Amino acid sequence: MQSKVSNNRLAAILSDGFLGLYFIFALFPLLWMVLVSLKSGEELFTTQFVFTPTLENYQAILFGDPRAAAGVVARQEFPRFFMNSLIVSSGAVVLSLLVGVPAAYALARYRFRGKEDLAFTFLSFRFAPELVVIIPLSVLYRQLGLYDTYWGIIWVYQLVTLPLLIWVLRSYFEDVSPDIEQAAMIDGYPWWRIFWSILLPLVRPGLAAAALLAFVFAWNNFIFALVLGGSNVQTVTVSALGYISSAQAFFNRMAAASVLASIPQIVLALSIQRYLIRGLSFGAVKG
Amino acid sequence: MAELRLEHIYKTYKGGVEAVKDLNLTVKDGEFLALLGPSGCGKTSTLRMIVGLEDITSGEMYIGGRLVNRLEPNQRNVALAFETYALYPPLSVFDNIAFCLRARSVPKHEIVQRVRRVAEMLDITDILDRKPAELGGGQKQRVSLARALVRDPDVFLMDEPLSHLDAALRAHMRIELKRLHAQTGRTTILVTHDQLEAVAMAQRIAVMNLGVLQQVGTFDEIYNHPVNEFVAGFIGEPPMNILPTRPVQEGDKLWLAALDGGFRLPLSDALRAKVERSKAQTIDLGVRPIHIETLDPSDDAADALPATVQTFESLGEEGQLAAHLGDSTVLVVTSPLLELERGDAVKLRFRPDRIHLFDAATQQAL
Repeated sequence: MQSKVSNNRLAAILSDGFLGLYFIFALFPLLWMVLVSLKSGEELFTTQFVFTPTLENYQAILFGDPRAAAGVVARQEFPRFFMNSLIVSSGAVVLSLLVGVPAAYALARYRFRGKEDLAFTFLSFRFAPELVVIIPLSVLYRQLGLYDTYWGIIWVYQLVTLPLLIWVLRSYFEDVSPDIEQAAMIDGYPWWRIFWSILLPLVRPGLAAAALLAFVFAWNNFIFALVLGGSNVQTVTVSALGYISSAQAFFNRMAAASVLASIPQIVLALSIQRYLIRGLSFGAVKG
Repeated sequence: MAELRLEHIYKTYKGGVEAVKDLNLTVKDGEFLALLGPSGCGKTSTLRMIVGLEDITSGEMYIGGRLVNRLEPNQRNVALAFETYALYPPLSVFDNIAFCLRARSVPKHEIVQRVRRVAEMLDITDILDRKPAELGGGQKQRVSLARALVRDPDVFLMDEPLSHLDAALRAHMRIELKRLHAQTGRTTILVTHDQLEAVAMAQRIAVMNLGVLQQVGTFDEIYNHPVNEFVAGFIGEPPMNILPTRPVQEGDKLWLAALDGGFRLPLSDALRAKVERSKAQTIDLGVRPIHIETLDPSDDAADALPATVQTFESLGEEGQLAAHLGDSTVLVVTSPLLELERGDAVKLRFRPDRIHLFDAATQQAL
């Protein structure tokens, strides 16, 4: 009995210790990014953890670099890129919600020819590496006049956001008994009212989780934004490249930009955390 | 309140599955009718057609004299209590019950009044603020019934209402449902596969099988005068013994001889008349386990049939004897006090007024 208790305690300590190690391992890049973003150019390539922190990198990317040398793009455009990212990512998620929620519902409820093929096709968008389709897409985009437009980027982001949303929500809708809808029909409600006031609240955890993940994927997307967006619709991920020029590599400013760029995702993830865990463990496993 | 009339109702699903075939049924105003049958017999399709969740392939359906074939579910003024309860999880119990009244824009004070009234009737006034997830099975059941009753439906349908409750609660709810029917006087249809439920609650029972209505009647009618072998075997527990026989004429006497040669039974005049009228080649003899007497092996009456004990179980209030009669096994409900061992010889006597005869070819009662 005694040894069993101490065994349990030992196991608990070991697992806590292991989790702690993993925690440090997993978060170290983030910590390093924050540290680098606070370093001045001279300290940049040192591995010191003790240094004089400076906010000049943040100042430079937000308000412009007073000491900008000729040939180095002044990176005070960061706020504009940030807005671009915000517009295309939220735009992509909103569009995916508008299209994906009904699609997921239809895939869950109705029986029609080619249903599984269709669902699989949506999923297959996630199989192919983006690089495979990017060349033909860029040719198409230039011909259609979608190159370097918000709509163009939002549209192509559907390849990233839509499959995720459809597949997570589909399993959620499947979990809701059709009896509930039928009961509401007998009660005399039009379909859209039933959908809005009964069904949507039931799938809300899945909706929140899928929408957040879709937003993160869209926000982090690099290759579509790089090739299909130009100077007008440059996103933060693409703009980070600009901190490296032939003359100089401003890794500290890049780090500062990355820190700022990750804020929306962190805020969003924290605010819907309680849905997130349920949403992912619930819907995704069954799907 | 209204009479429900089904005339030549058919339901054929895509792909040609015929779920309901030529169903004619009238449920009288204020009547409690049970739709009874094994799973896949068409009872649920029938229910869904009455409610309007399923199109009627052909035939006509009237509620209170009004043709309802083309009406939407909410225009028919019917209510359905679902097997799964189908409560709306985001809404409180009060809102669940009030949901259909809100759809009809009933004034607010009247909603409160009507919800209170059904809540009192079903004894759920103390849980009106809770969410469905916080309720037990019996409470959910009551809420689902309250939600169905609050709209004052012309026809009240219940789909397997007790199947998810435990045994004690089920017995209790049977009484409750019966009381509810007496109290509201609604035309009520209970869909169930459980004959005990049907017998306990309904005034009349409609037995369905393979999409066809087999027989409608009171329990006494379908139990004592089943129209065919299916009804005979489906109603009653333990089920009726069915023994294949052939009529044999010997002098001026008519016997039924078991096809396997296990017994020969002299027929009473009434049964003899039936057999002679039907001219059936083979006859299935049906007799319920409680209508067989066990006699001493020395009994030499002509209708005492020699059998061998296979198993005997004393179940406290009754005994159950399985005996070999030729190659067939016959189940007998006996007194629990018999002392019988495997292999013992007994004689069995079928009570002549309780023998059912069916044409083996058509399965119909003679």
